[in-house]
Amino acid sequence: MTGTMLLEVDKLEVVYQRAITAIQGVTLAVKEGQIVALLGTNGAGKTTTLRAISGFLGLDDARVTEGAVRFRGDRLENRPPHEITRRGLSLVPERDKVFPNLTVAENLQAVVRRGRSGDARVMDDAAYHFFPKLKELRKREAGLLSGGERQMLAIAAGLMCEPDLLLIDELSLGLAPVAVESLTQSLVSIRDELAISILLVEQSAGVALRIADYGYVLENGRIVLDGDAERLTGHADIQEFYLGQASGNRRSYRDVKQYRRSRRWYG
Amino acid sequence: MVLAAIYALIACGYVLIYRVSRVLNLAHGELMMLGAYLLVATASAFAASPLMAVVFAAVMSLAVGGMVYLFLMRRMTGETVLAAVLTTVALGILIRGLIVLFWSAQQQHPRAMLGWDNPVIVLPGDARISLYSGLLIVATVLVYGALFLFLRFGRWGIRMRAAGQNPLLAAQRGINLHAVFALAWGLSTFTGAIAGMLIALDSGLDSTMTMIGLKAFPAALVGGLDSLVGALIGALIIAGAEVGVIRFIDPLLADVVPFIVLIVMLVIRPWGLFGTREELDRV
Repeated sequence: MTGTMLLEVDKLEVVYQRAITAIQGVTLAVKEGQIVALLGTNGAGKTTTLRAISGFLGLDDARVTEGAVRFRGDRLENRPPHEITRRGLSLVPERDKVFPNLTVAENLQAVVRRGRSGDARVMDDAAYHFFPKLKELRKREAGLLSGGERQMLAIAAGLMCEPDLLLIDELSLGLAPVAVESLTQSLVSIRDELAISILLVEQSAGVALRIADYGYVLENGRIVLDGDAERLTGHADIQEFYLGQASGNRRSYRDVKQYRRSRRWYG
Repeated sequence: MVLAAIYALIACGYVLIYRVSRVLNLAHGELMMLGAYLLVATASAFAASPLMAVVFAAVMSLAVGGMVYLFLMRRMTGETVLAAVLTTVALGILIRGLIVLFWSAQQQHPRAMLGWDNPVIVLPGDARISLYSGLLIVATVLVYGALFLFLRFGRWGIRMRAAGQNPLLAAQRGINLHAVFALAWGLSTFTGAIAGMLIALDSGLDSTMTMIGLKAFPAALVGGLDSLVGALIGALIIAGAEVGVIRFIDPLLADVVPFIVLIVMLVIRPWGLFGTREELDRV
């Protein structure tokens, strides 16, 4: 992977309501043509990082207080979302990722394209090419789709923005393994055929590292580990905490849980 | 029928704005009246070509609506819906005051200013209708037809619906929310102004016109605030009830009827005939 630098996040700090620091000193990079995974458990700051990159922060009264987000060298932090999308960065959010009362086709039409490939048909075809199933569901209201179909539609709509970088928040959450498998295959072919880079935010390290080139691990708002996907897969901590292949330490976790539970009851 | 057309034409303005921004525009009656007064203004400016005056006034009202959003309502994003609604109330009072200041409270007759007359058309079946009342019905049909097509097939129409459903996601899909909202305000004021102008052309104009705007509000609510079909049906119901009361009970009750229907509706089915139920908790 020798592509040029696409997205650089440099020592990013985000503060909610001028009081709560959600992430601190997060640094990561995505090069052209790369699939990069951002791993971490609930509340580690993954979504906050994504929002800071995609300009979603202002609405939650959060601000980037330090550091920088650079996309092709341009600063992005604290800009309105539609502007960021037009620069070629498109986000597939974790929840509410489709417009439920619009049909599948309308969901795709609502997108404002960057107007690089002149004909709308071309992009329509691209969306249906990667997700042929959407074509059958064209006239169906998006609110009636299954979770996997919704995720397809959300990614397809993200593609319609004609991005250089696709940000995906929780690809596999709540989906059947079969659906996840086909989605990850689609992502790889999107990367290969359209030369679109992907930043994949995931709780499930197994899924993400299988297709990623590089990975970062986020904990309590800080990057604690990063490296090539193969190296991370082999890393002892990842094995233990994210892939669930721990050898031996199971009991201690149960003890912790027991402790928490009792605290809730008596405390 | 004419009354229903008036209500429907005005009600779709409420629906348009509510649908995209969840804000009740309580200044709609005033904006509609402003449209009619704009016609008075252009009528004296373009005395030579009356049609120009009408077109110009309509375009100006479109711009006024957009500007109301850009300069006033945009600042209310992020505030509570209640604050935004109260802002529209204030805007309404302001417009009413300004209109009296500029044009005085006297009744105006833009039709006479434009040098048009208002012939009575005899329809088959011996029904009589004045030209502008007829035009009102035609305009309502046209406006609704255009709005339906626009919202269903137009790219920006789809975006408007999208923004109404999930503004966050819409913004992220590259939709400029401010543009969409400004468009909704512009269209809403535009349709309101068309209604206002035609009423003024038919029967003259003074500052009591806001009352008609206010009476169209029950029509929008009865039909369901987020539904155009609902606004149409609601207008028919309200107008039917009003005409019925004038005919069979007492004309003095007429102004009260829409609100009685509204209250009954709110008790039985608060989200309106065609409204979405879940919308309710946001009001």
